[in-house]
Amino acid sequence: MSMMPKTSDPTADAQASAAETPPTALEVRDLNFYYGTNQALKNISIDYQRRRVTAMIGPSGCGKSTLLRVFNRMYDLYPGQRAEGEAIFDGVNILDRSLDLNVLRSRIGMVFQKPTPFPMSIYDNIAFGVRLHEKLSRSEMDTRVEDVLTRVALWKEVRDRLRSPAAGLSGGQQQRLCIARSIATRPEMLLLDEPTSALDPISTARIEELLDELKQEFTIVIVTHNMQQAARCADQVAFFYLGTLVEVDAADRMFTNPREKQTQDYITGRFG
Amino acid sequence: MAPEGVHTVKSYEQELSRLRAMMTRMGGIVESQVAQAIAAVTAQDEDAARAAPGQDPQVDALERDVEGLAIRLLALRSPMASDLREIVAALKITGDLERIGDYASSIARRSTRFDLADSRISLSGLTAMGRLVQENLRRAIDAISQQDPERALEVWQSDQGVDEYYTAMFRALVTYMMEDPRNIGPCTHLLFIAKNLERIGDHATNIAERVYYAVTGENLPAYRPRGGLASDAAETSVTR
Repeated sequence: MSMMPKTSDPTADAQASAAETPPTALEVRDLNFYYGTNQALKNISIDYQRRRVTAMIGPSGCGKSTLLRVFNRMYDLYPGQRAEGEAIFDGVNILDRSLDLNVLRSRIGMVFQKPTPFPMSIYDNIAFGVRLHEKLSRSEMDTRVEDVLTRVALWKEVRDRLRSPAAGLSGGQQQRLCIARSIATRPEMLLLDEPTSALDPISTARIEELLDELKQEFTIVIVTHNMQQAARCADQVAFFYLGTLVEVDAADRMFTNPREKQTQDYITGRFG
Repeated sequence: MAPEGVHTVKSYEQELSRLRAMMTRMGGIVESQVAQAIAAVTAQDEDAARAAPGQDPQVDALERDVEGLAIRLLALRSPMASDLREIVAALKITGDLERIGDYASSIARRSTRFDLADSRISLSGLTAMGRLVQENLRRAIDAISQQDPERALEVWQSDQGVDEYYTAMFRALVTYMMEDPRNIGPCTHLLFIAKNLERIGDHATNIAERVYYAVTGENLPAYRPRGGLASDAAETSVTR
Protein backbone atom coordinates (compact mmCIF):
# COMPACT_ATOMS: atom_id res chain seq x y z
CA MET A 1 0.00 0.00 0.00
CA SER A 2 1.78 3.05 -1.26
CA MET A 3 1.70 6.41 0.46
CA MET A 4 2.55 8.34 -2.66
CA PRO A 5 0.19 9.64 -5.30
CA LYS A 6 0.20 7.35 -8.27
CA THR A 7 0.63 8.67 -11.75
CA SER A 8 0.84 6.73 -14.94
CA ASP A 9 4.38 7.88 -15.54
CA PRO A 10 6.81 5.72 -13.56
CA THR A 11 9.66 8.24 -13.76
CA ALA A 12 7.44 11.02 -12.40
CA ASP A 13 6.55 8.61 -9.63
CA ALA A 14 10.15 8.00 -8.72
CA GLN A 15 10.95 11.70 -8.73
CA ALA A 16 7.94 12.50 -6.64
CA SER A 17 8.80 9.92 -4.03
CA ALA A 18 12.39 11.12 -3.86
CA ALA A 19 11.56 14.81 -3.59
CA GLU A 20 8.29 14.92 -1.71
CA THR A 21 7.99 12.07 0.75
CA PRO A 22 7.52 13.94 4.01
CA PRO A 23 9.01 12.44 7.14
CA THR A 24 6.71 10.39 9.28
CA ALA A 25 5.26 12.15 12.31
CA LEU A 26 3.56 9.11 13.80
CA GLU A 27 4.30 5.53 12.99
CA VAL A 28 1.77 2.90 14.03
CA ARG A 29 2.87 -0.74 14.00
CA ASP A 30 0.73 -3.81 14.68
CA LEU A 31 -1.67 -1.97 16.89
CA ASN A 32 -4.47 -3.92 18.53
CA PHE A 33 -7.16 -2.43 20.70
CA TYR A 34 -9.67 -4.04 22.99
CA TYR A 35 -12.86 -2.87 24.68
CA GLY A 36 -12.83 -5.57 27.34
CA THR A 37 -12.82 -8.79 25.35
CA ASN A 38 -14.05 -7.15 22.18
CA GLN A 39 -11.21 -6.44 19.77
CA ALA A 40 -11.91 -3.11 18.04
CA LEU A 41 -8.67 -2.71 16.09
CA LYS A 42 -6.74 -5.52 14.45
CA ASN A 43 -3.06 -5.25 13.54
CA ILE A 44 -3.16 -1.67 12.34
CA SER A 45 0.04 -0.39 10.73
CA ILE A 46 0.03 3.08 9.21
CA ASP A 47 2.31 6.09 8.88
CA TYR A 48 1.07 9.63 9.42
CA GLN A 49 3.14 12.08 7.45
CA ARG A 50 4.39 15.29 8.99
CA ARG A 51 2.45 18.42 8.01
CA ARG A 52 -0.02 16.46 5.96
CA VAL A 53 -3.70 15.82 6.48
CA THR A 54 -4.67 12.19 6.84
CA ALA A 55 -8.38 11.43 6.72
CA MET A 56 -9.74 8.24 8.24
CA ILE A 57 -12.97 7.03 6.69
CA GLY A 58 -15.17 3.98 7.12
CA PRO A 59 -18.63 2.96 8.27
CA SER A 60 -19.68 3.45 11.89
CA GLY A 61 -17.97 1.03 14.23
CA CYS A 62 -15.02 0.41 11.90
CA GLY A 63 -12.51 1.59 14.51
CA LYS A 64 -11.44 4.92 13.08
CA SER A 65 -12.43 6.98 16.12
CA THR A 66 -10.99 4.32 18.42
CA LEU A 67 -7.66 4.69 16.66
CA LEU A 68 -7.80 8.47 16.96
CA ARG A 69 -8.45 8.13 20.68
CA VAL A 70 -5.43 5.87 21.08
CA PHE A 71 -3.16 8.66 19.92
CA ASN A 72 -3.72 10.82 22.96
CA ARG A 73 -4.39 7.91 25.31
CA MET A 74 -8.04 8.80 25.89
CA TYR A 75 -8.72 5.16 26.63
CA ASP A 76 -6.72 5.46 29.84
CA LEU A 77 -9.79 7.11 31.36
CA TYR A 78 -11.79 3.92 31.01
CA PRO A 79 -11.00 0.66 32.78
CA GLY A 80 -11.11 -2.44 30.61
CA GLN A 81 -9.86 -0.67 27.51
CA ARG A 82 -6.34 -1.52 26.40
CA ALA A 83 -4.04 -1.11 23.44
CA GLU A 84 -1.15 -3.30 22.30
CA GLY A 85 1.51 -2.66 19.74
CA GLU A 86 3.40 0.49 18.90
CA ALA A 87 2.57 4.06 18.01
CA ILE A 88 5.91 5.82 17.72
CA PHE A 89 5.69 9.59 18.04
CA ASP A 90 8.98 11.49 18.12
CA GLY A 91 10.87 8.32 19.03
CA VAL A 92 8.58 7.42 21.92
CA ASN A 93 5.89 4.76 22.04
CA ILE A 94 2.66 6.57 22.90
CA LEU A 95 1.32 3.36 24.44
CA ASP A 96 4.16 3.27 26.99
CA ARG A 97 2.55 3.29 30.44
CA SER A 98 5.26 5.46 31.94
CA LEU A 99 4.51 8.31 29.53
CA ASP A 100 3.45 11.65 31.04
CA LEU A 101 -0.04 12.03 29.61
CA ASN A 102 -0.22 15.76 30.22
CA VAL A 103 2.86 16.31 28.09
CA LEU A 104 1.54 13.90 25.45
CA ARG A 105 -1.80 15.68 25.27
CA SER A 106 -0.15 19.08 24.98
CA ARG A 107 1.78 17.77 22.00
CA ILE A 108 -1.13 15.94 20.40
CA GLY A 109 -4.27 18.08 20.54
CA MET A 110 -7.78 16.81 20.02
CA VAL A 111 -11.00 18.38 18.77
CA PHE A 112 -14.31 16.57 19.10
CA GLN A 113 -17.47 16.21 17.07
CA LYS A 114 -19.52 18.56 19.26
CA PRO A 115 -17.81 21.81 20.21
CA THR A 116 -16.68 21.48 23.82
CA PRO A 117 -15.83 24.96 25.12
CA PHE A 118 -15.07 25.15 28.84
CA PRO A 119 -17.71 27.02 30.88
CA MET A 120 -15.55 30.12 31.07
CA SER A 121 -14.70 33.17 29.01
CA ILE A 122 -13.39 33.03 25.47
CA TYR A 123 -10.03 34.29 26.68
CA ASP A 124 -9.78 31.75 29.51
CA ASN A 125 -10.74 28.87 27.24
CA ILE A 126 -7.43 29.42 25.50
CA ALA A 127 -5.34 30.57 28.47
CA PHE A 128 -6.42 27.62 30.64
CA GLY A 129 -4.45 24.96 28.78
CA VAL A 130 -1.46 27.21 28.19
CA ARG A 131 -1.12 27.96 31.91
CA LEU A 132 -0.77 24.24 32.66
CA HIS A 133 2.35 23.98 30.54
CA GLU A 134 3.93 27.42 30.33
CA LYS A 135 4.43 30.41 32.59
CA LEU A 136 3.59 33.41 30.47
CA SER A 137 3.37 37.04 31.49
CA ARG A 138 0.06 38.83 31.09
CA SER A 139 1.12 40.47 27.84
CA GLU A 140 2.65 37.25 26.50
CA MET A 141 -0.61 35.48 27.20
CA ASP A 142 -2.57 38.27 25.48
CA THR A 143 -0.35 37.87 22.46
CA ARG A 144 -0.80 34.09 22.46
CA VAL A 145 -4.58 34.38 22.67
CA GLU A 146 -4.70 36.92 19.86
CA ASP A 147 -2.31 34.86 17.78
CA VAL A 148 -4.28 31.61 17.95
CA LEU A 149 -7.65 33.33 17.53
CA THR A 150 -6.30 35.05 14.42
CA ARG A 151 -5.01 31.73 13.10
CA VAL A 152 -8.47 30.19 13.35
CA ALA A 153 -10.01 33.34 11.79
CA LEU A 154 -12.00 34.10 14.93
CA TRP A 155 -10.13 37.16 16.20
CA LYS A 156 -12.12 39.78 14.31
CA GLU A 157 -15.37 38.22 15.46
CA VAL A 158 -14.54 38.02 19.17
CA ARG A 159 -11.89 40.63 19.99
CA ASP A 160 -14.47 42.91 21.61
CA ARG A 161 -15.91 40.22 23.83
CA LEU A 162 -12.96 38.14 24.98
CA ARG A 163 -14.29 38.17 28.54
CA SER A 164 -17.76 36.95 27.56
CA PRO A 165 -18.66 33.32 28.10
CA ALA A 166 -17.61 31.02 25.25
CA ALA A 167 -21.05 29.41 25.39
CA GLY A 168 -22.44 32.55 23.74
CA LEU A 169 -20.65 31.81 20.48
CA SER A 170 -22.31 30.05 17.55
CA GLY A 171 -21.56 26.36 16.96
CA GLY A 172 -19.07 27.10 14.19
CA GLN A 173 -17.36 29.76 16.29
CA GLN A 174 -17.22 27.40 19.27
CA GLN A 175 -15.58 24.73 17.12
CA ARG A 176 -13.00 27.20 15.87
CA LEU A 177 -12.41 28.25 19.48
CA CYS A 178 -11.80 24.59 20.36
CA ILE A 179 -9.28 24.32 17.55
CA ALA A 180 -7.64 27.55 18.78
CA ARG A 181 -7.51 26.05 22.26
CA SER A 182 -5.85 22.89 20.89
CA ILE A 183 -3.16 24.77 19.01
CA ALA A 184 -2.51 27.26 21.84
CA THR A 185 -0.28 24.76 23.60
CA ARG A 186 1.71 24.50 20.36
CA PRO A 187 1.21 20.81 19.69
CA GLU A 188 2.80 18.97 16.79
CA MET A 189 -0.24 17.00 15.92
CA LEU A 190 -3.97 17.73 15.79
CA LEU A 191 -6.60 15.02 16.00
CA LEU A 192 -10.08 15.94 14.80
CA ASP A 193 -13.00 13.60 15.35
CA GLU A 194 -15.74 14.61 12.89
CA PRO A 195 -15.09 18.27 13.62
CA THR A 196 -17.76 19.61 11.24
CA SER A 197 -20.57 17.09 11.55
CA ALA A 198 -22.55 19.45 13.79
CA LEU A 199 -21.88 22.57 11.68
CA ASP A 200 -23.62 24.31 8.82
CA PRO A 201 -21.97 24.39 5.35
CA ILE A 202 -20.41 27.85 5.77
CA SER A 203 -18.88 27.00 9.14
CA THR A 204 -17.74 23.70 7.64
CA ALA A 205 -16.04 25.50 4.78
CA ARG A 206 -14.29 27.79 7.29
CA ILE A 207 -12.97 24.82 9.25
CA GLU A 208 -11.79 23.13 6.05
CA GLU A 209 -10.05 26.31 4.97
CA LEU A 210 -8.47 26.40 8.43
CA LEU A 211 -7.17 22.83 8.05
CA ASP A 212 -5.41 23.91 4.87
CA GLU A 213 -3.72 26.72 6.82
CA LEU A 214 -2.91 24.60 9.84
CA LYS A 215 -1.22 21.84 7.91
CA GLN A 216 1.64 24.22 7.13
CA GLU A 217 2.58 23.65 10.74
CA PHE A 218 0.77 20.65 12.18
CA THR A 219 0.30 17.03 11.33
CA ILE A 220 -3.45 16.58 11.11
CA VAL A 221 -5.53 13.46 11.46
CA ILE A 222 -9.23 13.84 10.78
CA VAL A 223 -12.01 11.30 11.18
CA THR A 224 -14.92 12.09 8.91
CA HIS A 225 -18.06 10.49 7.56
CA ASN A 226 -18.15 13.04 4.79
CA MET A 227 -16.39 11.57 1.79
CA GLN A 228 -16.25 14.86 -0.06
CA GLN A 229 -14.65 16.44 2.97
CA ALA A 230 -11.99 13.75 3.01
CA ALA A 231 -11.46 14.29 -0.72
CA ARG A 232 -11.20 18.06 -0.28
CA CYS A 233 -9.01 18.24 2.79
CA ALA A 234 -6.83 15.19 2.94
CA ASP A 235 -3.50 14.40 1.34
CA GLN A 236 -3.75 10.81 2.46
CA VAL A 237 -6.85 8.75 3.11
CA ALA A 238 -7.18 5.56 5.14
CA PHE A 239 -10.22 3.29 4.84
CA PHE A 240 -11.14 1.15 7.84
CA TYR A 241 -13.63 -1.68 7.98
CA LEU A 242 -14.50 -3.95 10.90
CA GLY A 243 -11.42 -2.94 12.84
CA THR A 244 -8.93 -3.47 10.03
CA LEU A 245 -7.15 -0.98 7.83
CA VAL A 246 -8.29 -1.97 4.34
CA GLU A 247 -6.38 0.56 2.30
CA VAL A 248 -4.34 3.72 2.67
CA ASP A 249 -3.29 5.86 -0.25
CA ALA A 250 -3.05 9.38 -1.62
CA ALA A 251 -6.49 11.03 -1.69
CA ASP A 252 -6.61 11.45 -5.46
CA ARG A 253 -5.79 7.81 -6.05
CA MET A 254 -8.21 6.68 -3.37
CA PHE A 255 -11.19 8.54 -4.82
CA THR A 256 -10.52 7.90 -8.49
CA ASN A 257 -9.12 4.40 -8.50
CA PRO A 258 -8.95 2.57 -5.16
CA ARG A 259 -7.17 -0.78 -5.14
CA GLU A 260 -9.52 -2.74 -2.93
CA LYS A 261 -13.07 -3.74 -3.80
CA GLN A 262 -14.29 -2.97 -0.27
CA THR A 263 -13.00 0.59 -0.57
CA GLN A 264 -14.57 0.95 -4.00
CA ASP A 265 -17.93 -0.27 -2.69
CA TYR A 266 -17.82 2.03 0.30
CA ILE A 267 -16.85 5.25 -1.44
CA THR A 268 -19.24 4.75 -4.35
CA GLY A 269 -22.13 4.08 -1.96
CA ARG A 270 -22.59 0.39 -2.69
CA PHE A 271 -22.04 -0.88 0.81
CA GLY A 272 -24.51 -3.46 1.53
CA MET B 1 -12.65 -3.06 -11.17
CA ALA B 2 -16.21 -2.30 -12.13
CA PRO B 3 -18.32 -2.72 -9.04
CA GLU B 4 -20.79 -5.57 -9.12
CA GLY B 5 -22.89 -4.35 -6.23
CA VAL B 6 -25.74 -1.94 -6.61
CA HIS B 7 -26.01 1.49 -5.09
CA THR B 8 -27.72 1.89 -1.77
CA VAL B 9 -29.55 4.80 -3.41
CA LYS B 10 -31.70 3.20 -6.11
CA SER B 11 -32.34 6.35 -8.14
CA TYR B 12 -28.56 6.83 -8.52
CA GLU B 13 -28.31 3.32 -9.90
CA GLN B 14 -31.19 4.03 -12.28
CA GLU B 15 -29.58 7.21 -13.54
CA LEU B 16 -26.32 5.39 -14.22
CA SER B 17 -28.24 2.69 -16.12
CA ARG B 18 -29.99 5.40 -18.12
CA LEU B 19 -26.65 6.96 -18.98
CA ARG B 20 -25.36 3.58 -20.21
CA ALA B 21 -28.54 3.00 -22.24
CA MET B 22 -28.25 6.42 -23.88
CA MET B 23 -24.62 5.78 -24.79
CA THR B 24 -25.47 2.42 -26.30
CA ARG B 25 -28.33 3.93 -28.28
CA MET B 26 -26.16 6.74 -29.57
CA GLY B 27 -23.51 4.18 -30.49
CA GLY B 28 -26.10 2.13 -32.40
CA ILE B 29 -27.25 5.11 -34.47
CA VAL B 30 -23.71 6.20 -35.27
CA GLU B 31 -22.84 2.63 -36.25
CA SER B 32 -25.73 2.59 -38.74
CA GLN B 33 -24.66 6.00 -40.10
CA VAL B 34 -21.21 4.61 -40.82
CA ALA B 35 -22.69 1.52 -42.49
CA GLN B 36 -24.90 3.76 -44.65
CA ALA B 37 -21.97 5.99 -45.57
CA ILE B 38 -19.88 3.04 -46.67
CA ALA B 39 -22.77 1.56 -48.68
CA ALA B 40 -23.32 4.97 -50.27
CA VAL B 41 -19.75 4.97 -51.57
CA THR B 42 -19.05 1.33 -52.38
CA ALA B 43 -22.52 0.36 -53.68
CA GLN B 44 -23.44 3.85 -54.93
CA ASP B 45 -26.57 3.52 -52.81
CA GLU B 46 -28.38 6.88 -52.98
CA ASP B 47 -30.94 6.07 -50.30
CA ALA B 48 -28.12 5.30 -47.92
CA ALA B 49 -26.40 8.55 -48.94
CA ARG B 50 -29.49 10.47 -47.81
CA ALA B 51 -30.17 8.36 -44.73
CA ALA B 52 -26.82 8.93 -42.99
CA PRO B 53 -27.02 12.75 -42.68
CA GLY B 54 -30.71 12.37 -41.84
CA GLN B 55 -29.76 10.82 -38.49
CA ASP B 56 -27.49 13.70 -37.45
CA PRO B 57 -30.14 15.61 -35.48
CA GLN B 58 -30.92 12.50 -33.42
CA VAL B 59 -27.24 12.01 -32.62
CA ASP B 60 -26.84 15.66 -31.67
CA ALA B 61 -29.88 15.47 -29.40
CA LEU B 62 -28.54 12.34 -27.69
CA GLU B 63 -25.17 14.03 -27.21
CA ARG B 64 -26.89 16.90 -25.41
CA ASP B 65 -28.95 14.47 -23.32
CA VAL B 66 -25.88 12.48 -22.28
CA GLU B 67 -24.07 15.69 -21.35
CA GLY B 68 -27.05 16.91 -19.38
CA LEU B 69 -27.40 13.67 -17.44
CA ALA B 70 -23.65 13.42 -16.82
CA ILE B 71 -23.56 16.97 -15.45
CA ARG B 72 -26.59 16.22 -13.29
CA LEU B 73 -24.91 13.09 -11.90
CA LEU B 74 -21.73 15.02 -11.17
CA ALA B 75 -23.63 17.78 -9.42
CA LEU B 76 -26.11 15.73 -7.44
CA ARG B 77 -24.38 12.45 -6.70
CA SER B 78 -20.76 13.46 -6.17
CA PRO B 79 -19.65 10.24 -7.87
CA MET B 80 -16.48 8.54 -6.75
CA ALA B 81 -14.01 6.03 -8.14
CA SER B 82 -15.44 3.79 -10.91
CA ASP B 83 -18.69 5.81 -11.08
CA LEU B 84 -16.73 9.02 -11.51
CA ARG B 85 -14.55 7.48 -14.20
CA GLU B 86 -17.56 6.11 -16.04
CA ILE B 87 -19.41 9.44 -16.05
CA VAL B 88 -16.39 11.45 -17.19
CA ALA B 89 -15.69 8.83 -19.86
CA ALA B 90 -19.32 9.11 -21.03
CA LEU B 91 -18.88 12.87 -21.45
CA LYS B 92 -15.88 12.33 -23.68
CA ILE B 93 -17.14 9.25 -25.54
CA THR B 94 -20.29 11.07 -26.52
CA GLY B 95 -18.09 13.68 -28.23
CA ASP B 96 -16.21 10.95 -30.10
CA LEU B 97 -19.48 9.36 -31.22
CA GLU B 98 -20.83 12.68 -32.43
CA ARG B 99 -17.68 13.27 -34.49
CA ILE B 100 -17.95 9.78 -35.99
CA GLY B 101 -21.52 10.57 -37.00
CA ASP B 102 -20.36 13.80 -38.65
CA TYR B 103 -17.63 12.01 -40.61
CA ALA B 104 -20.15 9.40 -41.74
CA SER B 105 -22.55 12.10 -42.95
CA SER B 106 -19.76 13.86 -44.75
CA ILE B 107 -18.75 10.63 -46.51
CA ALA B 108 -22.38 9.96 -47.48
CA ARG B 109 -22.86 13.46 -48.91
CA ARG B 110 -19.60 13.25 -50.83
CA SER B 111 -20.59 9.90 -52.36
CA THR B 112 -23.18 11.61 -54.57
CA ARG B 113 -20.70 14.10 -56.02
CA PHE B 114 -18.68 11.78 -58.25
CA ASP B 115 -19.29 9.00 -60.69
CA LEU B 116 -16.96 6.07 -61.26
CA ALA B 117 -18.99 4.53 -64.08
CA ASP B 118 -16.48 5.22 -66.87
CA SER B 119 -13.28 4.92 -64.90
CA ARG B 120 -11.24 1.88 -63.97
CA ILE B 121 -10.77 3.06 -60.38
CA SER B 122 -11.14 0.13 -58.00
CA LEU B 123 -12.95 0.51 -54.72
CA SER B 124 -11.77 -2.79 -53.28
CA GLY B 125 -9.27 -1.09 -50.95
CA LEU B 126 -11.91 1.30 -49.68
CA THR B 127 -14.36 -1.57 -49.19
CA ALA B 128 -11.84 -3.51 -47.10
CA MET B 129 -10.92 -0.42 -45.10
CA GLY B 130 -14.61 0.31 -44.50
CA ARG B 131 -15.17 -3.23 -43.28
CA LEU B 132 -12.32 -2.98 -40.78
CA VAL B 133 -13.43 0.46 -39.53
CA GLN B 134 -16.97 -0.85 -39.07
CA GLU B 135 -15.67 -3.90 -37.25
CA ASN B 136 -13.58 -1.72 -34.92
CA LEU B 137 -16.45 0.64 -34.27
CA ARG B 138 -18.77 -2.26 -33.49
CA ARG B 139 -16.26 -3.62 -30.99
CA ALA B 140 -15.79 -0.17 -29.44
CA ILE B 141 -19.55 0.19 -28.99
CA ASP B 142 -19.80 -3.32 -27.56
CA ALA B 143 -17.04 -2.34 -25.16
CA ILE B 144 -19.19 0.60 -24.03
CA SER B 145 -22.37 -1.37 -23.52
CA GLN B 146 -20.68 -4.37 -21.91
CA GLN B 147 -18.09 -2.32 -20.02
CA ASP B 148 -15.57 -4.77 -21.43
CA PRO B 149 -11.89 -3.75 -21.27
CA GLU B 150 -10.82 -6.79 -23.34
CA ARG B 151 -12.96 -5.60 -26.24
CA ALA B 152 -11.50 -2.13 -25.85
CA LEU B 153 -8.02 -3.56 -26.00
CA GLU B 154 -8.83 -5.37 -29.27
CA VAL B 155 -9.93 -2.11 -30.90
CA TRP B 156 -6.87 -0.33 -29.63
CA GLN B 157 -4.61 -3.01 -31.08
CA SER B 158 -6.24 -3.25 -34.49
CA ASP B 159 -6.32 0.43 -35.44
CA GLN B 160 -2.91 -0.13 -37.04
CA GLY B 161 -4.67 -2.08 -39.79
CA VAL B 162 -6.87 0.93 -40.59
CA ASP B 163 -3.82 3.15 -40.88
CA GLU B 164 -2.17 0.67 -43.21
CA TYR B 165 -5.23 0.55 -45.46
CA TYR B 166 -5.24 4.33 -45.56
CA THR B 167 -1.61 4.44 -46.65
CA ALA B 168 -2.24 1.89 -49.38
CA MET B 169 -5.36 3.78 -50.56
CA PHE B 170 -3.41 6.99 -50.65
CA ARG B 171 -0.74 5.48 -52.89
CA ALA B 172 -3.28 3.87 -55.19
CA LEU B 173 -5.34 7.06 -55.59
CA VAL B 174 -2.27 9.17 -56.33
CA THR B 175 -1.27 6.63 -58.97
CA TYR B 176 -4.74 6.87 -60.62
CA MET B 177 -4.45 10.64 -60.69
CA MET B 178 -0.99 10.56 -62.28
CA GLU B 179 -2.16 8.10 -64.90
CA ASP B 180 -5.11 10.17 -66.07
CA PRO B 181 -5.96 13.76 -65.04
CA ARG B 182 -9.67 12.96 -65.50
CA ASN B 183 -9.32 10.80 -62.36
CA ILE B 184 -8.33 13.79 -60.24
CA GLY B 185 -11.93 14.79 -59.41
CA PRO B 186 -13.25 11.46 -58.17
CA CYS B 187 -9.91 10.49 -56.60
CA THR B 188 -9.83 13.70 -54.55
CA HIS B 189 -13.26 12.84 -53.20
CA LEU B 190 -12.11 9.29 -52.49
CA LEU B 191 -9.03 10.61 -50.69
CA PHE B 192 -11.22 12.68 -48.38
CA ILE B 193 -13.47 9.69 -47.86
CA ALA B 194 -10.50 7.49 -46.96
CA LYS B 195 -9.22 10.19 -44.60
CA ASN B 196 -12.64 10.43 -42.95
CA LEU B 197 -12.73 6.65 -42.51
CA GLU B 198 -9.30 6.81 -40.95
CA ARG B 199 -10.54 9.53 -38.56
CA ILE B 200 -13.54 7.35 -37.65
CA GLY B 201 -11.07 4.58 -36.81
CA ASP B 202 -9.14 6.99 -34.59
CA HIS B 203 -12.27 8.03 -32.72
CA ALA B 204 -13.18 4.36 -32.23
CA THR B 205 -9.73 3.92 -30.70
CA ASN B 206 -10.31 6.94 -28.45
CA ILE B 207 -13.54 5.36 -27.28
CA ALA B 208 -11.71 2.12 -26.58
CA GLU B 209 -9.08 3.97 -24.53
CA ARG B 210 -11.74 5.78 -22.50
CA VAL B 211 -13.73 2.61 -21.83
CA TYR B 212 -10.56 0.86 -20.75
CA TYR B 213 -9.75 3.66 -18.30
CA ALA B 214 -13.31 3.89 -17.00
CA VAL B 215 -13.48 0.18 -16.28
CA THR B 216 -9.97 -0.60 -15.05
CA GLY B 217 -8.79 2.77 -13.73
CA GLU B 218 -5.56 2.29 -15.68
CA ASN B 219 -4.54 4.14 -18.81
CA LEU B 220 -3.48 2.23 -21.90
CA PRO B 221 0.16 3.03 -22.74
CA ALA B 222 0.76 6.36 -24.47
CA TYR B 223 2.35 4.52 -27.37
CA ARG B 224 -0.13 2.75 -29.60
CA PRO B 225 0.83 0.47 -32.50
CA ARG B 226 0.19 2.63 -35.56
CA GLY B 227 0.64 2.46 -39.27
CA GLY B 228 0.43 6.26 -39.30
CA LEU B 229 4.15 6.72 -39.77
CA ALA B 230 4.02 4.89 -43.08
CA SER B 231 1.12 7.03 -44.29
CA ASP B 232 2.93 10.20 -43.26
CA ALA B 233 5.93 9.00 -45.24
CA ALA B 234 3.73 8.28 -48.24
CA GLU B 235 2.17 11.72 -48.11
CA THR B 236 5.58 13.37 -47.82
CA SER B 237 7.19 11.36 -50.59
CA VAL B 238 4.39 12.26 -53.01
CA THR B 239 4.37 15.97 -52.24
CA ARG B 240 8.09 16.19 -52.96
